[in-house]
Amino acid sequence: MNTSIRRLFAVLACGFLLLGLLLGYWQVVAAGDLADRTDNRQAQRRDQTVDRGRIITADRIVVARSVPRVIRGQTTYVRGYPQGTLAPHVVGYASPQVGSTGLEAQYNSYLRGSYGAEPLLVRLRLRTAHGADIHLTIDQRVQEVADQQLLGRKGAVVAIDPKTGAILAMASSPGYDLAKVSDPKAFAQIRTAPDSPLYNRATQGRYPPGSTFKLVTLVAALESDLGYSSQTRFDDTGTLRTNGPPIRNFGGHVYGDHDLTQALTNSVNTTFARIGLNLGANRMGEQMEAFGFGRKPGIDLPGNEVLASGRYQGGKLLPNIAGDADLARIAIGQEKLSVTPLEMAMVAATIANGCTQMRPYLVTNAVDRSGSDVFEQSPSQVRQVCSADTARIVTDMMGNVVREGTGTQAALQGLDVAGKTGTAETGDGGLNDAWFVGFAPKDDPKVAIAVVVEGTPDTGGVAAAPIAREVMKKAIERSGG
Amino acid sequence: MLSPRTRETGFLVPAALIAALGAATVATAKADALRYGPVAMVGAGIALFVVMHLVLRLRAPMADPYLLPTVAVLTAVGMVTLYRINPTLARDQMVWLGVGAAVFCGVLLLMPDHRALERYRYLIGITAVLLLVATAAFGTEIYGAKLWIRLPGGQTVQPGEIVKVLMVIFLAGYMRDKRELLAVPTRRVLGIPTPPLAVLAPMLAVLGMALALVVLLNDFGTALLFFGIFLAMIYVATGRAAYAGVGVALFLAGSLAVWMLVPRIQDRVDSWLHPFADPQGRGYQLVQSLYALADGGVIGSGLGKGFLVTDGGQTVIPFLETDFIFSAVGAELGFIGAAGILCLIVVLLARGLTIAARANDGFSKLLATGLTAVIGLQAFLIVGGVVRLVPLTGVTLPFLSYGGSSVVTNFAIIAILLVVSHRTDRPYRPRGRRNGDHARSGGDDG
Repeated sequence: MNTSIRRLFAVLACGFLLLGLLLGYWQVVAAGDLADRTDNRQAQRRDQTVDRGRIITADRIVVARSVPRVIRGQTTYVRGYPQGTLAPHVVGYASPQVGSTGLEAQYNSYLRGSYGAEPLLVRLRLRTAHGADIHLTIDQRVQEVADQQLLGRKGAVVAIDPKTGAILAMASSPGYDLAKVSDPKAFAQIRTAPDSPLYNRATQGRYPPGSTFKLVTLVAALESDLGYSSQTRFDDTGTLRTNGPPIRNFGGHVYGDHDLTQALTNSVNTTFARIGLNLGANRMGEQMEAFGFGRKPGIDLPGNEVLASGRYQGGKLLPNIAGDADLARIAIGQEKLSVTPLEMAMVAATIANGCTQMRPYLVTNAVDRSGSDVFEQSPSQVRQVCSADTARIVTDMMGNVVREGTGTQAALQGLDVAGKTGTAETGDGGLNDAWFVGFAPKDDPKVAIAVVVEGTPDTGGVAAAPIAREVMKKAIERSGG
Repeated sequence: MLSPRTRETGFLVPAALIAALGAATVATAKADALRYGPVAMVGAGIALFVVMHLVLRLRAPMADPYLLPTVAVLTAVGMVTLYRINPTLARDQMVWLGVGAAVFCGVLLLMPDHRALERYRYLIGITAVLLLVATAAFGTEIYGAKLWIRLPGGQTVQPGEIVKVLMVIFLAGYMRDKRELLAVPTRRVLGIPTPPLAVLAPMLAVLGMALALVVLLNDFGTALLFFGIFLAMIYVATGRAAYAGVGVALFLAGSLAVWMLVPRIQDRVDSWLHPFADPQGRGYQLVQSLYALADGGVIGSGLGKGFLVTDGGQTVIPFLETDFIFSAVGAELGFIGAAGILCLIVVLLARGLTIAARANDGFSKLLATGLTAVIGLQAFLIVGGVVRLVPLTGVTLPFLSYGGSSVVTNFAIIAILLVVSHRTDRPYRPRGRRNGDHARSGGDDG
């Protein structure tokens, strides 16, 4: 009997060991994920007891901070947003009532001081609970220009430092005031307002890229083994027959004999459609893949606030490479293509940086109350998207677009600007989604940009290029260039 | 070598300190000034354990010295947690602790030899079934399960709790009696070695009736517990793992049937498998409990600093004080505290089964095994439910959960185990032949 009793004990002890392991899983391993769940009111109440860290722009403007409030001898903290309308989509809110978004959500563990050994030190009363401050790559001056330029329109601006991937400005319009989130009535109004102000058009807005996508086609052509160069000559009759409806040029233009540089300068649809057909699905698909289409960009925002760019059907992302794809239309940014302003800014930034794509990021570091860095993010390369030679050729061709082509309104005095416009018809009463993507200065880029303006009767060169000009100007001023 | 009772005295001190410190922490956590409310309760609790300790000195000086201190620590943590949830609950529970202590002392004083129980095994078995029948007939349904009998005074008792002990006594007596016959299968049914039906039948009948009644009462936790205890005991009685294997197979088949037939159980299983599918509805309790555990983390939020109780004194989870007391401990004392509770329960099991292994006769062994299994399986089921290892069953966590019937039963179990332990080291002899005893014990037997 004693053998059986010993074995019974072994079985019971194993059972309790299993309980202990599972308990450890919930309390230690999965604790962070559980705390981040939006319906976790306990975690939200816990957060209110913490003096949450500040959020500070690159030029040292505080955009979020916590204010203590004492009720019945208990100190709780209320989140305040002194610059509530500045990049609300990026900063995000942390609210016990409606959850958290943006960087407030993404960097929650640093902001609430639950990183590393901090919680243990607090519990042992070796330290008071303080969150770490996070410092943004966003520059308030550049951001303000972007916000102002978009005022009264729907659209988005993303400005990136192409050498590092640091986001200098990320604006989405219409915006809202973060200070109003804590007021249930005001928040309900924001939530139900027309044109969805809560939605970050820069990372979640999907737009047909139109002619800006010709940059991808162009890179694919120059990288291919088909012998394309900036001088390759084409003959345009104004129409290109395809399996679908024939492709025509914008405004019904006929360009006749021209080279590839002129094709980009004037955004010749028939020529790029022909290139797309020549390249075939594999070359096009691989180039898209290399630029990062079909994947979410690795930006430090919550995953549900960032969308992948690429071919979509009924809200579902399709593979970049597909046999049945209409390559003529993909090459000119039509078909099922749907892209975010962030992705197009990354395309511009990649070309600006000699075709080395940098990971886009919004936060440089987190600093605790004693002034030491508890988190640091340095620029990191994603991949080499094409050869530096190709990048140089494309840059020169983009310079032509701004000098004498569709993008002249983006030109800056005394500086060379490289760019590409796009005008995607929305099929809604002659309204377009107007694009400009580009960078400046052309030969030593300090800023790369993507601008989209929704539902405008104007073209990209008219509606988007001037916005890009103003934002780039501010960004270059700031960098002392 | 110190005597068992002296060692016990030493081990009881930490329990007293935990109770005092815990109560003081809770009292100061919510108010700025120190309140003296819990002083009386801590005093009462300590006094009750001192009395139990003294009765042990008197009646069972050779009994195991670890059981009572372990129980004392568990009780201290449970009391502090209840006090933190709601001081009224702690006060009620203290009354029940008093009753439990009285039953504990009663068992020790009135039952010098547990082997007397063996003679009344059938009577005890029938009493158990009758108690269940009475619950079915006169019971009050609370929260979908008919487990309580309302006494004239308005109090409710849960006969299912005490039935567990009666069932163990019956099974121990019966299995010891028929042990050889059970262990030697005479034939095979479907390739499974089976003892003669005549031997198996009465046992299966009593067990089956008990199970059927419990299922009728809609208390699947207790049904599962009965079944687990039965398997543990028959395995120890016969040493045949095949029986346990067949039992587990039967259990799985039975669970499947119950799952298919009883909507209430389907709900439970669904909320177990997919708690986050309906976090505001079916999954609410489990999800909130997991959030509480996550909030506690490794070191816990500290007593009085968790969020399972609102500022208004409401609990976020229904049945926090019974089914989910373990979550409350995990939230405020952290993984360290909750894992500590699990370790203490394993200590209880180790001591209980050591008592079983050291006992001189089969009945004592089976009795101690069964009683230990009651505590072990019950703790396993409810903690497993809280950490999502098994579906939730509404059984109590021994010595921590709020509830009179449970406290009283568990103290009775510990008392019986201590009697068994004492009798192993000092076999009982009827009065008149005690001269030898006096010579050895130095008279502390009274």
